Amino acid sequence: MIAFTDIVGMDLAKQALMLLAVDSELGGVVIPSAVGSGKSTLARAFADILPEGTPFVELPLNVTEDRLIGGVDLEATLASGVRVVQHGVLSKADGGVLYVDSLSLLDSSAVSHIMDAISRGEVLVEREGLSEVHPAKFMLVGTYDPTDGEVRMGLLDRIGIIVPFTANNDYRARKKIVSTVLGERDLEDTRDELKMLSGIIQAAKEQLHHVSITKEQMQALVQTALSLGVEGNRADIFTVRAALASAALAQRTDVEEEDMKLAIKLVLIPRATRMPEREQESEEMPPQEEPPPEEEQEAEDEEAPADTPDADAEEEQEEEPDMLEELMMDAIETELPDNILNISLASKKKAKSGSRGEALNNKRGRFVRAQPGEMRSGKVALIPTLISAAPWQETRKNDKKMAGRPKTALIITKDDVKIKRFRDKSGTLFIFMVDASGSMALNRMRQAKGAVASLLQNAYVHRDQVALISFRGKQAQVLLPPSQSVDRAKRELDVLPTGGGTPLASALFLGWETAKQARTKGITQIMFVMITDGRGNMGLQAAYDPNAEKASKELIEQEIESLSLSIQADGIAAIVIDTQMNYLSRGEAPKLAQKLGGRYFYLPNAKADQIVEAALSF
Amino acid sequence: MLQGLKVTTKRSIMTQTEKAGKKIAAKKPVAKKTVAPKAKAAPTVTAPPAPKPVAKPAGKKKSGLAFPFTAIVGQEEMKLSLILNIIDPRIGGVLVMGHRGTGKSTTVRALAEVLPLIERVQGDTYNRTVEEFVEGEELKKGQKALDAASLKTEKIPVPVVDLPLGATEDRVCGTIDIEQALTSGVKAFEPGLLAQANRGFLYIDEVNLLDDHLVDVLLDVAASGKNVVEREGISIRHPARFVLVGSGNPEEGELRPQLLDRFGLHARIITILDVAKRVDIVKRRREFDEDPDAFMKKYNREQLKLQKKIQTAKELLPEVTMDDNVLTDIARLCMNLGIDGHRGELTITRTAHAHAAFLGQKVVTMKHVKEIAGLCLRHRLRKDPLETLDAGEKIDRELAKVLGEAEAV
Repeated sequence: MIAFTDIVGMDLAKQALMLLAVDSELGGVVIPSAVGSGKSTLARAFADILPEGTPFVELPLNVTEDRLIGGVDLEATLASGVRVVQHGVLSKADGGVLYVDSLSLLDSSAVSHIMDAISRGEVLVEREGLSEVHPAKFMLVGTYDPTDGEVRMGLLDRIGIIVPFTANNDYRARKKIVSTVLGERDLEDTRDELKMLSGIIQAAKEQLHHVSITKEQMQALVQTALSLGVEGNRADIFTVRAALASAALAQRTDVEEEDMKLAIKLVLIPRATRMPEREQESEEMPPQEEPPPEEEQEAEDEEAPADTPDADAEEEQEEEPDMLEELMMDAIETELPDNILNISLASKKKAKSGSRGEALNNKRGRFVRAQPGEMRSGKVALIPTLISAAPWQETRKNDKKMAGRPKTALIITKDDVKIKRFRDKSGTLFIFMVDASGSMALNRMRQAKGAVASLLQNAYVHRDQVALISFRGKQAQVLLPPSQSVDRAKRELDVLPTGGGTPLASALFLGWETAKQARTKGITQIMFVMITDGRGNMGLQAAYDPNAEKASKELIEQEIESLSLSIQADGIAAIVIDTQMNYLSRGEAPKLAQKLGGRYFYLPNAKADQIVEAALSF
Repeated sequence: MLQGLKVTTKRSIMTQTEKAGKKIAAKKPVAKKTVAPKAKAAPTVTAPPAPKPVAKPAGKKKSGLAFPFTAIVGQEEMKLSLILNIIDPRIGGVLVMGHRGTGKSTTVRALAEVLPLIERVQGDTYNRTVEEFVEGEELKKGQKALDAASLKTEKIPVPVVDLPLGATEDRVCGTIDIEQALTSGVKAFEPGLLAQANRGFLYIDEVNLLDDHLVDVLLDVAASGKNVVEREGISIRHPARFVLVGSGNPEEGELRPQLLDRFGLHARIITILDVAKRVDIVKRRREFDEDPDAFMKKYNREQLKLQKKIQTAKELLPEVTMDDNVLTDIARLCMNLGIDGHRGELTITRTAHAHAAFLGQKVVTMKHVKEIAGLCLRHRLRKDPLETLDAGEKIDRELAKVLGEAEAV
């Protein structure tokens, strides 16, 4: 067992956990990190710095609904003849920590239940004749590897601290990690260090009630949230809490700049949806200059009814905090990595789509729950059936109508029968890959958008999902991750840059990756819908190395060839749609279709519906 | 697989119906306290959770205080929609969709505190009025009519029932009371959440993630206003009319079209962009967390004021009238927007009445209609993802046209 203090590196994650230990109302800490960085070791070591006896419950990934929420305890019920309630995992974590390793792989219904428990602080058990409320106020500590996929935004939003993702490359630190694992540390030292740390946290908890934050500081934090485009109000509340906890850890009574910086780093930056802009000079300018048009309208709607009472509040706000805001902007800028939106968890591009693609059914998929039903309509869930029959045995045996049956047999009636419900993603994932290079790009983009929209209209019925990858310049980019939301597609595809080279290989690679990720989540049928003339002129290398030499034609062709083969081997269907006038074409698009084992469609000036038709016909 | 297990036929349990029926009648007056799930008495035994040997109480009364409705900053659209539904439950509920962390569920859960009282037959699990009670009991037994005058009544707050995503069908619709069966060997019906929600509010958070089988149940019950349960030889029918309130984030998934259509109003929630308001939200939340009791006290007067205003509006509602011209304009608006069916007109009309009543006015004008048209129609427009115009704007534009025409005439 490696203790909290033994873990080297991951300083920010450690700081985050300490803040949480000081103020459990922060809700939790999420640590995204690469494999082998010690994130789960650290999370488990978190128990070291919590008061003794604090529950620490690890959530198994394959948890079923009744284990999560609670239900009837079969063994005890059968033994006692009285229904015995079994608390679920969520309620067992009450007052302590719920730890989830590989948070991004958690089943979406489990995620929903966790979200619900967090927002209520308790679990409502309305199951199998039970109607109970179990307290379930816990801190959620989650770790995951971002390459496994993303965590649902709704869940992340309810967790106060999200540690910014960093790959741990420090050679010396690594060496130390290794030596720690090998057990070179002195146990005595460890014990002392832990003791000291626990003392600091205990003192900070007491100090927390004496720390205050000024209105100006709050305004600066909220302003920062606004300029980073953070959604909702939870983040504001969490930031203030984090700043207070940070000050408490330092045994101060006032929040200082460093506390605010830390809070911004751990709470706001990971939720940023856009880069902040320095537009503070002109005071008339509202801070929300750049949001997409949709939001702008909403902003106006919002402001219209509620202007008068806040007039003085706004004036007041303009005087003092300018200085502070400047300061915060500095803080953000120095803290910000080069490309915030690419690493930020809250970035729209990476947000995971909803769970609507899942269908409950009686035949296949993952077993989720048992439900009353006809015996012939599916697989009988034996144990749940027995549970529901168990309490009736006495009554039934005394029933005259049941007379003549051997006393030893269980009497099971039709109403006891429970059948198994499985969760399965039965729909198809359509991955659109749109060539956004060259002069016809705008046209292709419009067609693709139309087709995406049209497919999504019926997505509910078919449980299909749609993703969109655009490729231009040096590399392809996922514009819309697998999703079923019309609203989302509309927003994500609002502004689409076009022009530049044609990194076809990069698109194929990214599509393949997206497909593989979808497979791990249970989507088996995948189709590439490629809207391109098939003429790639960028090598894969260029996508990752800006200084890469221009790839030769042969190399590009080779890359496309081998990627196509792998894609085909993975059982991914593909169609290639060429929407351009073909007097310039040298037949690359049909060739691409052939390599992918798919079909080629030539649809000049295609309407969205034609594209959909082509996709569905295959 | 089921070898050796006896499966009785349907016929053999049929005769138990009578006994069960009697039991139900006898069980009626058992007092059931209002609202949401509650602890159940013995003989339910709670198994101690594994990691700690400390036994937890088997379900306890909803803990903690709800954040007061009147202390919620902004989000006027959602608040108005909820209030109008209290004034006239026939409006058909509210769907609240919007950004994460904008106080959707906080607001709905705060609603309970400002709800008026309703009268029901004392201790009736289904919250029925005297008339409903008499009618229901007669249907069941075929015996001589109950004497309405002999029934005692009581006032209870309008129930708000929370339907969690993980609820199973038997708890939603009701099922056989196992405790009764075990202790006295009789079958009795244990009413579910739908029974508790009768004449009240049924709230589903993350409604777009609700499982299909529960959506089916809800659609069925919402359409008929009745819940029918046939289980273990018992046949139960009870009224289940409730205001359906759902909330969710549209990016988590789409709502099933049939369910979407069931909601009278659709409120949209967005992140507040005003710094002062946001600071205010943070401050109030902190204040509440520090000392909930003191915070409640601070808002007590406003809470009572709002409750009274709603009650007054409820009483005024039957007196509110609407001119035929206004109705014509509403119909034209719906037609121009290409809305299928008549639910659009009907909802606007009812909502406008309630809105006028809330403002203390007895005549519905186009001004009232204008303020609520977006709420009533937003989700009834055909969804076109390529449409760049926001649904609300489209409605406003058509509304302006209709109003312009009306003035010109």
